[in-house]
Amino acid sequence: MNLSGILVAARPEWLSRVVADLTALPGVEVHQVDEATGRIVVVQEAADIPAEIEGLKRIKALPHVVIAEMVYHYLADDRHVYADLPPELSAQDSQAGAVPAYLND
Amino acid sequence: MALSRRDFLKTSIAASTAATVGLPVAQEAAAAVKASEAGWQWDKAVCRFCGVGCGIMVATKDGRLVATKGDPDAPVNRGLNCIKGYFNGKIQSGKDRLTQPLMRMKDGKFDKKGAFVPVTWEQAFDEMERQFRRVYAEKGPTGIAMLASAQKTVQEGYAFNKLFKAGWRSNNIDPNARNCMASAVAAFYSVFGTDEPSGNYDDIEYADTMVLWGANMAEMHPILWSRITNRRLGHKDARVINISTFRNMSSDIADLELIIKPNSDLAIQNYIAREIIARDAVNWDFVNKHCVFATGPYDIGYGMRPTDKYAFAAEKDVQAKELRVKLDKYEAIAQRRKEGEVVEQKNTANPAAHWLISFDDFKRAVEPYTLDFVAELAKGDADEPLDRFKAKLKQLADHYIDPKRKVVSFWTMGFNQHVRGTWVNEQCYMNHLLLGKQSQPGNGAFSLTGQPSACGTAREVGVFCHRLPADRLIANPAHRAYTEKQWNLPARTLNPQIGSFYAKILRDLEDGRVKWLWVAVNNPFQSHPNINHWLKAAREMDNFIVVSDAYPGVSAKVADLILPSAMIFEKWGVYGNAERRTQHWRQQVMAPGEARPDLWQALEFSKRFKIKEFWGEQKVPGLKAEGYEDGKLPNVLDEAVKMGYSPGATLYEVLFATPANRKYRWPDPIAKGHPNSVATLLGDGWFPEKALWQEYVPFTRGDGKDLADFDVYHGDKVRGLIWPVVDGKEVPWRFNEQYDPYVKKGAGFEFYGKLFKAIPRGDLDKVTDPKPVSVAGKAKIFFRPYAAPVEQPDANYDLWFCTGRVLEHWHTGTMTRRVPELHRAVPAAVLWMHPDDAKARGLKRNDLAWVESRRGKIQIRIETGGRNAMPRGYTYAPFFDEGVLVNKICIDAACPISKESDYKKSAVRVYKA
Repeated sequence: MNLSGILVAARPEWLSRVVADLTALPGVEVHQVDEATGRIVVVQEAADIPAEIEGLKRIKALPHVVIAEMVYHYLADDRHVYADLPPELSAQDSQAGAVPAYLND
Repeated sequence: MALSRRDFLKTSIAASTAATVGLPVAQEAAAAVKASEAGWQWDKAVCRFCGVGCGIMVATKDGRLVATKGDPDAPVNRGLNCIKGYFNGKIQSGKDRLTQPLMRMKDGKFDKKGAFVPVTWEQAFDEMERQFRRVYAEKGPTGIAMLASAQKTVQEGYAFNKLFKAGWRSNNIDPNARNCMASAVAAFYSVFGTDEPSGNYDDIEYADTMVLWGANMAEMHPILWSRITNRRLGHKDARVINISTFRNMSSDIADLELIIKPNSDLAIQNYIAREIIARDAVNWDFVNKHCVFATGPYDIGYGMRPTDKYAFAAEKDVQAKELRVKLDKYEAIAQRRKEGEVVEQKNTANPAAHWLISFDDFKRAVEPYTLDFVAELAKGDADEPLDRFKAKLKQLADHYIDPKRKVVSFWTMGFNQHVRGTWVNEQCYMNHLLLGKQSQPGNGAFSLTGQPSACGTAREVGVFCHRLPADRLIANPAHRAYTEKQWNLPARTLNPQIGSFYAKILRDLEDGRVKWLWVAVNNPFQSHPNINHWLKAAREMDNFIVVSDAYPGVSAKVADLILPSAMIFEKWGVYGNAERRTQHWRQQVMAPGEARPDLWQALEFSKRFKIKEFWGEQKVPGLKAEGYEDGKLPNVLDEAVKMGYSPGATLYEVLFATPANRKYRWPDPIAKGHPNSVATLLGDGWFPEKALWQEYVPFTRGDGKDLADFDVYHGDKVRGLIWPVVDGKEVPWRFNEQYDPYVKKGAGFEFYGKLFKAIPRGDLDKVTDPKPVSVAGKAKIFFRPYAAPVEQPDANYDLWFCTGRVLEHWHTGTMTRRVPELHRAVPAAVLWMHPDDAKARGLKRNDLAWVESRRGKIQIRIETGGRNAMPRGYTYAPFFDEGVLVNKICIDAACPISKESDYKKSAVRVYKA
């Protein structure tokens, strides 16, 4: 489970449209809206972590969104995630410190 | 109503997020936060990554990091985090974290050709010491070196600097900041006589026009970018101008985008200066009171080796330009010479020399930079009509010149990593000074930094081969004497000969001058350009390489000995950001296994050496300085004994655990229960991070660089302080009487920096009167000409190649590639190119291709869309991916003044793999 707190901002005149667009996104909940300043607090839940990153990009790409930045990150103890190294780094894992072949070409 | 654990967490996260950005939080939500955070200890800290220096809050529970959030009280980021900052809490948890020293061994002994075997710290230091003694006995102080870092903490930088310069009497310590900020520093010195920017990030909220010169802030400085975006959208007259060699994410909100040719920024700046004069817009009141005009030699080379002895065959034609350059038609006009003239590069040894000129000379020098000339030279997109580009250049000048507009110019690596990096930095000040738009809220040229403590550690502490703390220089006898006094050293302990700069240390390794190298908190064998040379020097020659790192990056794998290091929240530290803000943090958790802080590594290793081994006479080839015998450092041991030192005293006792420093005791209530691994491991009762900070701060005081005491920064309400901190007050705009107590009363402005403030007089070509004239209190407006890049596309290598970063990864990816989220977001480096260029080579998006230069070749996938749009003839690939060693193909030319490498301008060919 991946949870993040995201601040979204929009011009006040577009606020309701942006809130509607956000609510329509799967995994996104709008928790708080500040009419005066156009700020929206969103909590995003994503099944896995690439989806979380994509989720933020999706929010940034919505029309009339001025800012979408992460604020809060819950460090879930997620074994599935921690076990997953980039494949070429994993491949080297067993031979810690061996000079990789690509250094020798 | 019963909430599920997940719903409960969500409510709590929403409430925390709201509170962080200053929105009111409902009572029930606040209660949810309280309940879900039971037992957590929140503490302020600073982000590990870029030079912006965002404040973050970290929560620990039972010795483990459990959450991070943007710090709502941090003036830099006001609660926000970018995608890298968001994962600060995860970078230390990679699966392949180094947790014990590893040494190359065969048959139970160190062997250069051996495989890595885990050893104890004792064994590791034994071999490191043995190799050190072997090399020091053969080569003396110039045979050892450290590649240091702008990501070290202030105390780490300070300790290594002192160990090398005072203990081992070697100036061969230079940081990766050399490849990041050196051009900015050289220009701060030459223009203002003191390092670091006049303004601060609040300039954004005052500015009308923000101009990005070679700075893709949307990807590289995302949080400042969010402030710029806010300003652009929240203020109806605010405008953003993006100047780049290709279209990038920062163009998305830019009102004006200029796609330019490499190095043509030099010509564009002079065009603006010419317009300022032609439109009679010089702020004469400001210029007459506060500025002088200056210039220097043009024939300064390109920072390459002066010999082709070590060059690959294919490199020799470009390398030859270090000695002789044939001027092209643009350079001929720009430098008032003839096309095809061959110019001997006579000033490579003293490229920074400069002299006063008259305004009339200055005006004559910028005269050739007409709109027609500069537009033809600078237009970078072959598909853009010339008239449209001309109109944009004119608009750019309009923005600077309009007396009603406040203008901030931002730049980073596009200017700094530039064969004329110092010049182009100086030119940016040139225009701001001509207009009097400098050192005021919303008005100023603002050099951003790439790394978290380029300013705080590398620059302020002087962890460079030519510097000492707080803007003092090795070459200046008074500065050495002051430093010797502060450090309680006998006179003439310090080596007066400047050491080897970053690239030179690697070249020294290749030509046998340096044979013992310690690398910490940087990754030279992936990040320095033209790495095939340095990989060979490290692996195939009789050199001993030690790498302190948290993960097995390329440099660790190339090493002979790997020391496992603690990461940011596993130690106490201080970083200084790009707006002169100094931020301290406490240790939060313990490092895993045997990983230990770099500060402990320096201090513990220093226990193995005695002053009598270094403070006797030492040979230093080429040393020439007043008061020193040629080629020698004097014996200062007798003097040391008179000062009360025993010849058998260790460097640890004399340099670090001094009686004064031992007065700072550990534990200390300022820790509020947080651990301290360095103090605990040393076990002799003092608090090294606090003691070394307090030892360092006197260097900064009374000289316009004042830092506050250790405990002040740890105050609960303090979120870093912008120096100079005078009588407890920060100085948000330097050199401006309204804000800066160092400015003389009634002066309005005063550029009081002290370096290079007595210079000779001359004309545009030479010195005419060598007698130095004082220019105290003034800033220099430099004329610097256009000069072409040393390597350019030709029939053989027909495309431009540029390298840099992407948002998701930090530099060489050593940390960020261990965060699966970041790795998945951008798993591998790609080569961006124009779709037509790809098509002409039979390539399409996602195809695997070879990219080959004079220096080597790499395999990489092609990208023709996405976040960057290349004009025809240009390519770009980031260097974070150790599977694609992009820097194999980069030229190691540099700005000859700053010695900073130009990563932005190589020539390559691309073909199907």
